Amino acid sequence: MVLTSKVKLFILLLCVPVIVCLHICVGEFDLNLELIQQSLFDFNPTDTNQVILRDFRIPRLLIGVIAGSGLAISGLLMQTLFNNPLAGPYILGINSGASLFAAFSIMTGVTFFSSQFGTITSALLGAFIFGLIILGFSLFVRSKISLLLIGVMLGSFSGALITVIQSMSDAFQLKKFTIWTMGSLQQVSFDEFPIILLFYFFALILLIFTVKPLNALVIGESQAALLGIPVRFIRILLIFITAILTGLITAYCGPIAFVGIAVPNVVKLLFKTQNHIVLILGSMIFGVIFLLFSDWLVQLLWSSIHLPINAVTSLIGAPFVIFIIIKKLA
Amino acid sequence: MILLNNVEIGYDKMLFEIDCLTLIKGKVYTLIGANGKGKTTFLKTLVGELAPLKGVFSIDALKSVDLTRGERSKRITFVPSKQVDVDFLRVKDFVALGRTPYTNLIGMCNSSDYLKVVSSLELLKISHLKDCFLNQISDGEKQLAAISKAIVQDTDVIILDEPTAFLDYSNRINVFELLKEIAIKLNKVILFSSHDIDSILELKTELLLLNQHSKKMEFYSANTISKTDLIKIAF
Repeated sequence: MVLTSKVKLFILLLCVPVIVCLHICVGEFDLNLELIQQSLFDFNPTDTNQVILRDFRIPRLLIGVIAGSGLAISGLLMQTLFNNPLAGPYILGINSGASLFAAFSIMTGVTFFSSQFGTITSALLGAFIFGLIILGFSLFVRSKISLLLIGVMLGSFSGALITVIQSMSDAFQLKKFTIWTMGSLQQVSFDEFPIILLFYFFALILLIFTVKPLNALVIGESQAALLGIPVRFIRILLIFITAILTGLITAYCGPIAFVGIAVPNVVKLLFKTQNHIVLILGSMIFGVIFLLFSDWLVQLLWSSIHLPINAVTSLIGAPFVIFIIIKKLA
Repeated sequence: MILLNNVEIGYDKMLFEIDCLTLIKGKVYTLIGANGKGKTTFLKTLVGELAPLKGVFSIDALKSVDLTRGERSKRITFVPSKQVDVDFLRVKDFVALGRTPYTNLIGMCNSSDYLKVVSSLELLKISHLKDCFLNQISDGEKQLAAISKAIVQDTDVIILDEPTAFLDYSNRINVFELLKEIAIKLNKVILFSSHDIDSILELKTELLLLNQHSKKMEFYSANTISKTDLIKIAF
């Protein structure tokens, strides 16, 4: 039986409430709907269960949804822009800005970074600055490949700087930074969500204007231009959206690996289409399911072993992607 | 209709000039010239990728330089000689991309857009391929799909860069004859470059020759020049 894209999207969507329930319920105590409602709208700081919910479980769930969908979208945008399935959200080096500034904050002891800002604000600043740099380049670099190379160079440059900083820092700082690079969904507090959601939805609104150009870009920039698409402008818009999403997510969660590259590819294999309205929705939903499932596993195994999210995404993700590829080839 | 008056074509330095040339609807024009003498540059100039070094030309009585990207995409389109290889793109969806200048914000095709896709596939006799993926069909079929996309774009002018360069003999003849049929049936200007002189002379298209010696473009109606003269002028 051949399922239409709508049916496939609907089936994927049905999995979301299931994984959301699994994710929020994992832990020491049982919760009910009433408790969730209370912790959100009628918060009582003396009730321990409510505090755990509001300070830990709900932020972790929400940022998981945002990171899973945001990284998958960013990966998809970069893959279509560069016509390359190996591209991902970090290809232009925006995450390396976040990592560099996080390294400044954690390991250098420069008061500007360590006292006035926390790691998150520093990482946000780094992502913002690197986003501006790559946007600046995209304004006057004509060739996509040159842009890609500049992104990669930015990445190795800040990677080298981080190595220098690491070599001069002590074991405690080193461990703290290494753990940051492994990614975590537990660094956001409830009060930070208004601003995160604001940026997230701003990016999603801009995304609507890229659907038609993305569909045309599939057959190459020069062909898209013949169809009346303002190719240079769209390139800048796509980089802008990716910069907002990956910058935001890397700052709050660390550089979460794998999701951004794998999810759009799996979605393309599942849906067998190049219609980007389907690919965007599919990537968002599948990204959420995949990241929440990985994080659910992390928490399930929390008591026995301390697993970072990056290890889990690749541990279950890589075999899964290979399985899908083999299955589709057969 | 395309009108060119005293136009110089070239990248940085002038490759050739055109004194006066009118391309009218319902006719097929073939551009013939040696390699590196500016065929592709000329075609790129017509579709607006390059500006002429000197002079202006008009498309449908509108100056080319004044056309916005959107307006241009409804008047003139271009088919490259080699088609892209894309995963997961079905022939019908590829052809439907030709409707991009006319569709809404998210690029959804309505029923009249789909009708155009269906009739264009029928005209090129590739309806049976509509659900195939683009990377599963042959080069000849891909070329037909690309021409079909250009038809769906509803432009008065279709320009093709060596449309038969990668095709075998029977596919070449098929493409040439279809182009002629399209020009007459759909009343379009069709201009393509080609090195396949024998087929073109047989097809009786209008000829645009890049004169090697005078660096000018020369126009010959169908059947008004012999093969030996043509080769003397262009090569």
